Amino acid sequence: MAPLGRAALLLAFGLIAYALVAGSYAAWKRRRRLALSAQNALLAAFPATLIAAVVLLVALGRRDMTFVYVWQHTSHKLPLGYALSAFWGGQEGSLLLWLLVLTGYAGLAVWLNRRSRELMAWTVPVFGLVAAFFAFMLCFVSSPFNVQPAPGDGRGMVPSLQNPYMLAHPPLLYLGYVGLTVPFAFGMGALLSGRTDERWIVATRRWTLAAWMFLGVGQLIGAHWAYVEIGWGGYYAWDPVENAALMPWLAATAFLHSVMIQEKRGMLKVWNMILVALAFNLSLFGTFLTRSGVIDSIHSFAQSSIGGWFLGFLTLMVVLSVALIRWRLPLLRTKTRLESLVSREATFLYNNLLLVALALTILWGVLYPILSQAVRGEARSVSKPYYDFFLHTFGLPLLLLMGLGPLVAWRRASLRSLGKTFIVPFAAAIVTGVALLALGFGSSWPGLLAYTFGAFVVASIVLEFVRGRAAAGGMLRLIGRNRRRYGGYIVHAAVVLLAIGIAGSSAYQTQRERTLKPGGSIEAAGYTVRYLTSTGVRGPNYTGFRALLAVSGHGERFRLNPGINNYPIEGQSNVASIYHDPRSLGDVFTTAHLLNKRGTIDLKVLVKPLINLIWVAGFVFVAGSLIAMWPDAVEQRRLAARYAAGAAPAGI
Amino acid sequence: MIALSVAAALAIFVVYTALAGNGIADLTPSTLAGHAGDVSLVGKVVGNPQGNAAYHGGLHFQLKDIGRATPARVPVVYRGSMPDLFETGRDVVVEGTLRNGVFVAKPGSLITKCPDHYAPAKSSKT
Repeated sequence: MAPLGRAALLLAFGLIAYALVAGSYAAWKRRRRLALSAQNALLAAFPATLIAAVVLLVALGRRDMTFVYVWQHTSHKLPLGYALSAFWGGQEGSLLLWLLVLTGYAGLAVWLNRRSRELMAWTVPVFGLVAAFFAFMLCFVSSPFNVQPAPGDGRGMVPSLQNPYMLAHPPLLYLGYVGLTVPFAFGMGALLSGRTDERWIVATRRWTLAAWMFLGVGQLIGAHWAYVEIGWGGYYAWDPVENAALMPWLAATAFLHSVMIQEKRGMLKVWNMILVALAFNLSLFGTFLTRSGVIDSIHSFAQSSIGGWFLGFLTLMVVLSVALIRWRLPLLRTKTRLESLVSREATFLYNNLLLVALALTILWGVLYPILSQAVRGEARSVSKPYYDFFLHTFGLPLLLLMGLGPLVAWRRASLRSLGKTFIVPFAAAIVTGVALLALGFGSSWPGLLAYTFGAFVVASIVLEFVRGRAAAGGMLRLIGRNRRRYGGYIVHAAVVLLAIGIAGSSAYQTQRERTLKPGGSIEAAGYTVRYLTSTGVRGPNYTGFRALLAVSGHGERFRLNPGINNYPIEGQSNVASIYHDPRSLGDVFTTAHLLNKRGTIDLKVLVKPLINLIWVAGFVFVAGSLIAMWPDAVEQRRLAARYAAGAAPAGI
Repeated sequence: MIALSVAAALAIFVVYTALAGNGIADLTPSTLAGHAGDVSLVGKVVGNPQGNAAYHGGLHFQLKDIGRATPARVPVVYRGSMPDLFETGRDVVVEGTLRNGVFVAKPGSLITKCPDHYAPAKSSKT
């Protein structure tokens, strides 16, 4: 089995290397048939990688411990689903998943665009370059197909990973990370071939959107996993590994917005190239970060030897992207200029600057320990206050812009028309703000601002839908007619829900902690939590205790039973007990520690208002993204007409 | 216009780092000596933790350098909620101040490092 996997990987590497070398030569010398053969080699790399992936999956499924990888990450007792999920549980398998997703994406994207020969000529070698790195690593540095004489049982999987989320969170993140390679390859391909019109953007719009959606959902699922599983009551800790996924997502968000300006007005060509390179390189950086152990994280990744390889490749890609953009700068100049600081274009630009500023300040925070080590000889790190500050300074204006942008006219908006457009959202925001102040929400100004701005955005979105519906005669017809626009608004609504959930669960959170004897009680935000007694529990591979709590308040009565599980091998683990209040969308979150044999416990109660909106936002986000992505016959015809009319060569 | 906005963002950044200081030092038991003020300490839990984090006396344990041939050790006293998976042999991060040779931790600042996706199980038993 293992030789088959190794052979399949070698074949994939050969095909990819051919696509890179022959493809570059063909594009350079304009050899059409050679270019076609390079393209076919890239297409064939996917089935070859797939064979390797199937070999590994079969080995994992059969718990074939002669595979070092299988032995390291599974055991005979491990359920089949988790055994298969060990595919991305370790380094070699993760690299294989990268290559599998990349060759799959690249094959499909190239196949769908095979008629645009000039665009594909250089795109194929760029895909080849990225894929060649991963194939090289898998063949010669970090192979999942190393074998050993059959040992006893495997090492198994960490219990906290034995969770259904393990089946969804990592692959979704990979679909996102790797997906950002597609717009990057097309963008760099466009630069290399000199075809710097917006065809590469049109061809990759859905790819970017899909990658961005996967990355976003993957992160939300990770946040939910952390919230329910780890028992500290939070869902995001600004940890480097978490930031590693957030940064490319922010850059991709900026990119998705700024490409609209290029499509509509032919502006921001340089900026779009910078953004696509930034998003791709940040996703590479994220993979490097999680692989190298160069930065201290609360996730202790195995220190591995491949960090240096990644750093080398990352440096190469950054240098290449910068050099390419610099080289093609004359082609990227545009004649159209920004006409007014109060226009749709300008609001898009502000949005872009804020998103990139946020991404870069996060990057600075992540790199800070390395930089201060280099400059001052002492590693220092920044923590929550740093990130919170920049989330407020850049995030709150972003939220406001989401309400402003869609209502401002293209090119130039007059102040009078602005006044008329904004009167309703503005009134909604003021009313909300005053009402919240009266209700005592002034305790947190970022929270108050987030809610007030949220009301503004919601009002402006509702306004757009009401107006559009009157014109189109029906909500479904309206959305169907302009999916991109209204899908976008739905995503905006999701971001508002997310902001309300985050502000509610952090700015307005109540936390109480106390040592209690049986019969004792504590109060938290209107809930009375009474500690009745404690009992022992016994699971398949752990023993533990549970505190029985009776909670009443806000017209509800319910029981909670937080506690501790003791795993003989893994140590102890908090078992949080959470009550979701369906009416207020908030949670009552409890954890308990047993202090002595008489049943005294240390009880922590968190009341987190509106936190469930964060998870609701995830569904709305996916719905909006899918609507914006859905094939649109009207748009296709419009584009076909545009390129048939010979608009394409204008840039050259 | 773009230059102006970039300058504004940069200015906010510089002002923040000037006012709010520049992070806290990440130290290990061997680099801890001589540091006054709040620092973050990373180490491996050794010996038998004594006492209880929920009571006045607090929980007492020792931390040693991770992965050093001749590790330094430092005693830690901690109060507040206990993180998941805390036990002897785990890598932890804790914030606090060194006072008379004892690291006095900030309440609630103790974090156990996740034995993560990519670390083979049981690798912490070194």
